[in-house]
Amino acid sequence: MNQTSFDRSRIFLVKTEINALVEAELWDAITDKNLADWEAEWRPETEKLLKELNREGIETGLWPQSRHWDWRAKTVEIQERITNQCFSVVCENQTQAMMITELTHRAKIESQKNAHLVYVEFLEAAPWNRSELIARPTRFGGCGSILVKAAIEYSIAEGFEGRIGLHSLPQANDFYGNKLKMTDLGADSRYQNLRYFEMTQEQAKRFISEEH
Amino acid sequence: MQIKVTREWCESKARLEAGAEIGAGIIAADPIIGHVDERDHATEESHQAFRRFVELRRRSLGVSIEKLAEQADVDVGELLNIESDAHFLPETRTLYQLSQVFGVSHQKLMGLSGLTQPKDVSYVKEAVRYAAKSGSIEELTPEEQAALDGLISVLSEK
Repeated sequence: MNQTSFDRSRIFLVKTEINALVEAELWDAITDKNLADWEAEWRPETEKLLKELNREGIETGLWPQSRHWDWRAKTVEIQERITNQCFSVVCENQTQAMMITELTHRAKIESQKNAHLVYVEFLEAAPWNRSELIARPTRFGGCGSILVKAAIEYSIAEGFEGRIGLHSLPQANDFYGNKLKMTDLGADSRYQNLRYFEMTQEQAKRFISEEH
Repeated sequence: MQIKVTREWCESKARLEAGAEIGAGIIAADPIIGHVDERDHATEESHQAFRRFVELRRRSLGVSIEKLAEQADVDVGELLNIESDAHFLPETRTLYQLSQVFGVSHQKLMGLSGLTQPKDVSYVKEAVRYAAKSGSIEELTPEEQAALDGLISVLSEK
């Protein structure tokens, strides 16, 4: 995985420490740099978090559900597939979030049943950007929205009119259902009973609209 | 692919997001990403063999489900589901803990459980064959013991 050629887009995140916008980049790739950040920065931070949760006596069922994800293995697996597209958010020279999308899923909402959409296979924020169960300030806010926008723009570019779908980790149901107002199609027994959320063309258009 | 986005849009969405959890994707650490049809290939037999192995190994250790949960530091409810529900997908950590207590390969146990799709399925087929040889009675019969010995041999590190 080298990926020296990829597009960078100028974006902005809220830096919590100063409560102000800072410039960042959206990359349409997951590169060696991103994977190095995952190994050297994300994983040790996640380990620290798990120790903290354990000390606090939080039951393991409530621990971060993506804690076993191996991003290097995931990207190696998909690197030959043309149906997968990766994205990463980088700020202050550190990877803040990553996403893998794919194109073979079909829509489930009745009004757009079986239409093509961009499916978010995996999406994760860096551990310091997640408040988890122990109240602590996050470093950067807005990564999730940026990546969802990227998925929508990718959907439009592929001719899928902005339709996207994903299976939310239980701790993120509030974000996708209540904040992004995606359509909740309920627990999916084929995906470990994770809730499946989908956006129609209209919902996607509203989300990426500059009118807010 | 480039996107265009304004400061105002980013700020508005970031304030709305406000530190919310955003993770999406299956919980298992399976690096093999496939769409739904590929996941359906994890066979019923493999799940049954996995369930049978957990039950037999537990009984060979002479412990209850509760005691095994304590030894492996896993949720007792999840262990109950593993032994009783053919469609239950265990947590990755649970499989790791069980593999340590049982003395078998963590990766192979994940493949047998259906949590991952092993590239080499020969050990899965062997495990299914051994599991099929055992019946379901309280104490291990010599045949069950032989089947269990075979399962352990197949699932051990090589």
